Amino acid sequence: MSEMIPRLVGQRVKRVEDPRLLTGRGEYVDDVHLPRMLHVALLRSSVAHARIVGIDTAAAAELPGVHLVVTADDLRDRVQPIVCDILPPGAWQTSAYPILADGKVRFVGEPVVAVVADSRYVAEDALEAIGVSYEELPPVMTVTAAEAGPETQVHEAWDEAWFTHKQLRVGDIDRVFAEAAGVTRRSVEVGRHTGMPLETRAIIADYNPSSNALTVHMTTQMPHIMRTGLADHLGMPEHQIRVISKDVGGGFGVKAELYPEDILVSHLATRLGRPVSWVEDRREHLLGTIHAREHFYELEAAWDESGRILAVRAEIRVDGGAYSVYPYSASMEPGMAMGVLTGMYDVPVYHADSWAIATNKTPLGPYRGVARPSACFAMERLMDAVAHDTGIDPLELRRRNLVRADQMPHTTPSGLEYDSGDFEATFRKAAEILDYDATREQQEELRGEGRYLGIGVGSYVEQTAHGAAEFVKRGLPVIFGYDTSRIRIDASGNVLVHPTSHSHGQGHETTIAQVVADALGIEIERIRVVYGDTQDVAYGSGTLGSRSMVMAGGAAHLAAVELRDRLVRIAAHNLEVDPGDLEVADGEVRVKGSPATAVAITEIARWAHHRPERIPSDLEPTLEVTSSYGAPPGTGAFSHAVHMALVEVDPALGTVQVLRYVVAEDCGRIVNPMIVDGQVTGGVAQGLGGALLEEIVHDAEGQPLTTSLLDYLWPTAHDVPFVEIGHLESLSPFTIGGIKGMGEGGAIAPGAVIAGAVEDAMRPLGGGFVRKVPLTPERVLNLLNVDPTGRVPESHEENQK
Amino acid sequence: MRVEINLNGKPFAADVEPRMLLSDFIRHEACLTGTHVGCEQGGCGACTIQVDGRAVRSCLLFAIQVDGSTVRTVEALSDERDGALHPLQEAFRECHGLQCGFCTPGFLMSLEPALASGPLDDEQAIRDAISGNICRCTGYAGIVDAVRHASNTIWNDPDIGTVDDLGSLGEDAPRSGAGDE
Repeated sequence: MSEMIPRLVGQRVKRVEDPRLLTGRGEYVDDVHLPRMLHVALLRSSVAHARIVGIDTAAAAELPGVHLVVTADDLRDRVQPIVCDILPPGAWQTSAYPILADGKVRFVGEPVVAVVADSRYVAEDALEAIGVSYEELPPVMTVTAAEAGPETQVHEAWDEAWFTHKQLRVGDIDRVFAEAAGVTRRSVEVGRHTGMPLETRAIIADYNPSSNALTVHMTTQMPHIMRTGLADHLGMPEHQIRVISKDVGGGFGVKAELYPEDILVSHLATRLGRPVSWVEDRREHLLGTIHAREHFYELEAAWDESGRILAVRAEIRVDGGAYSVYPYSASMEPGMAMGVLTGMYDVPVYHADSWAIATNKTPLGPYRGVARPSACFAMERLMDAVAHDTGIDPLELRRRNLVRADQMPHTTPSGLEYDSGDFEATFRKAAEILDYDATREQQEELRGEGRYLGIGVGSYVEQTAHGAAEFVKRGLPVIFGYDTSRIRIDASGNVLVHPTSHSHGQGHETTIAQVVADALGIEIERIRVVYGDTQDVAYGSGTLGSRSMVMAGGAAHLAAVELRDRLVRIAAHNLEVDPGDLEVADGEVRVKGSPATAVAITEIARWAHHRPERIPSDLEPTLEVTSSYGAPPGTGAFSHAVHMALVEVDPALGTVQVLRYVVAEDCGRIVNPMIVDGQVTGGVAQGLGGALLEEIVHDAEGQPLTTSLLDYLWPTAHDVPFVEIGHLESLSPFTIGGIKGMGEGGAIAPGAVIAGAVEDAMRPLGGGFVRKVPLTPERVLNLLNVDPTGRVPESHEENQK
Repeated sequence: MRVEINLNGKPFAADVEPRMLLSDFIRHEACLTGTHVGCEQGGCGACTIQVDGRAVRSCLLFAIQVDGSTVRTVEALSDERDGALHPLQEAFRECHGLQCGFCTPGFLMSLEPALASGPLDDEQAIRDAISGNICRCTGYAGIVDAVRHASNTIWNDPDIGTVDDLGSLGEDAPRSGAGDE
């Protein structure tokens, strides 16, 4: 592996992409205006579960300005429904997500009819003129109801309620439980959230019949995966499709799926021979874009007198919604939750069962952290419960159970290969920033004044940049093994980098340029990083799973090093010196120790393009290199963090104020500290949303009650304090430069931390165990009716609400 | 109906249906796409622009309601400086006040009149000023820092710090970023 010599890497480099975005000159999908462009509006199901008896589109089709009205009947044999099955073996039941509902609707918001018109205004007028008659079926709205064997299954052919069931058995658990000093049992759950980027989904498809070429502008984190998905589902040759995803207004995982609308709009463009645009509105986003979280855990821990956890038993149920999503399948969420549950803790014996269960809700998929925020919530709630049951301070209990630095590398019971890290040091750092002991004293004092402060603690290990090994283990049908970067130096000595990662806020135009600048020894201003157009960029996975800096950044480093070697060899040939005597720095190749003997890289670039006689005859003459990188062995680079919060609860109103929020994190070598802090803080903000504000709620009939920003509450500037961040740097032995991924981390622990803090604050008032987030004021007040072991008579009732 | 406005210092007119939203008028008729639409519910503030010096949400107004008005969008901030960044934009860059950039124009257009009316360096006052705009990426820390930074630059540096430099706003522009539409 070639070594990284950091110069700009590690520096707080201001972002290259900012001037464009600050001046309103970004190019998001809806900013693309094509001549003769038509607009799509979708009639979506108004009921959760029903047979479609009839659809009357005649009046809509007659309206002036309407070009086409389509239903499932018009799509049959023209496009394929989205099927995303796991790789065998594995317990699995398939689902087909139709492009437009075909005979049956399975969630409120499922697309039923599409109208293409001169404007979105006219298209929406036409929706009003469409009649759909439904024969309603009993909706399956909870995992409990699904498992009870409903009158009508979400998918008729199924024998069981689940997409998938997985099991993990490590150690003789019955013996350990029988011999333990004590056992702690709790049920916990995490509400249904969604990623909610500021920019909704959008797609503009433009078809040229003369060349059979389809150009698709779409808001996606993974242009190539979308191109393959479109080709497969449209039945088009993939080389006829070009996907362009320039600026994307936030992704967070919900723009890393192939949706029915993507296939539909592309199909409509090919059918009409005109550009067709669909821009999701916010109500559609809350109905039709994937949801996330909604996990249910039954947990048991066996412990000894000192509070050491001897074994954990877990049942994990995920409300997967109606369909398996492409390209992850419904298995990713429960499988990952089961795999990461034990986190930083050394749990030798572990048994788990996990299911993704189908319900009449919007399909569920990855959102920043994927299963980790729910699994972290579950494990940390269990640790707080053990602390309560043993009477040990929650921080001390955690310390006693950590995987120690001298155990690294460490294989967890679920088979994760922790590569590095000193978890105890990170705990110490967080406690130091918060000043844990002094804060405990302050808490005690303020209780005397009738103020209720609470401290919460949470930690996680974040598997990042996992390659083929891990995705094969999960059984995903698309394995994200490696990423690729192509770099070319042009005749004037400027550098163009095409990484296969995609940036939608993470700042790759800057950080990947930092890596390339260091390897090539030139200033960052000469480097341009361009991503998102499948016509320019090599095939790759796009951005998901906190992998871009390691994978695409690593690939860029390798390509740049190869280019540097070519520059050195050309210089050596012309200076008539040995290549080993040369170094690259400050935009030139020069003799080590004798910097006056040098050739500018701009000069070498000119030679490579226009003076081939100056190139050594045994050297590939171009200055263009493509490299791939998969961070072998592909088991992942593990970042980790400890979060702590101090909250104040108003016991009269049930409101929670986050007074302080502390993060001690270790993501290996930091490429740009400004961006790392930005990612941490932004992640924490989203986590706080899920801890206190955000929840998608359905009524018993399956009607979503949260379809506007008045009901689904994003954190505002008043809800997120400054996050106090401390860094540790344990380099990954597996990655170039020891870099680890970190984009998702901030969002993982806040649910666990806030739950612990609110419980801690409410305890002197007789408050009980916190089993669910978000902690809305109603749930906070209800804690006064809950006993400390978490038994809540009305819990399931609340779940039904 | 004919709608005639002064848009970023120049006259602009188009014939539109009475129901056309101002946000669509700016984006699709005037083709100024710096103004972003995040919800069309008045809930996110991404579409914030200035009408006669006041920050308003363009998704909650019809184009015909601003006939005859002076409208400023994010493009004006740098256009008025021959392409150079406004001190507020510089501060956003310096303090990492943006990630994906989609909400950013709305924040800038809310904050510019707030900063023009006086220094804005108290954390609570800054959070009040941006409470009508949602950012999903940053957790607001970089934005709060950027406002403080911009306020110091604008109000303490004699070379930059005249209100005239901020554009066409009057002294009585509202401090709050939330529109009064």
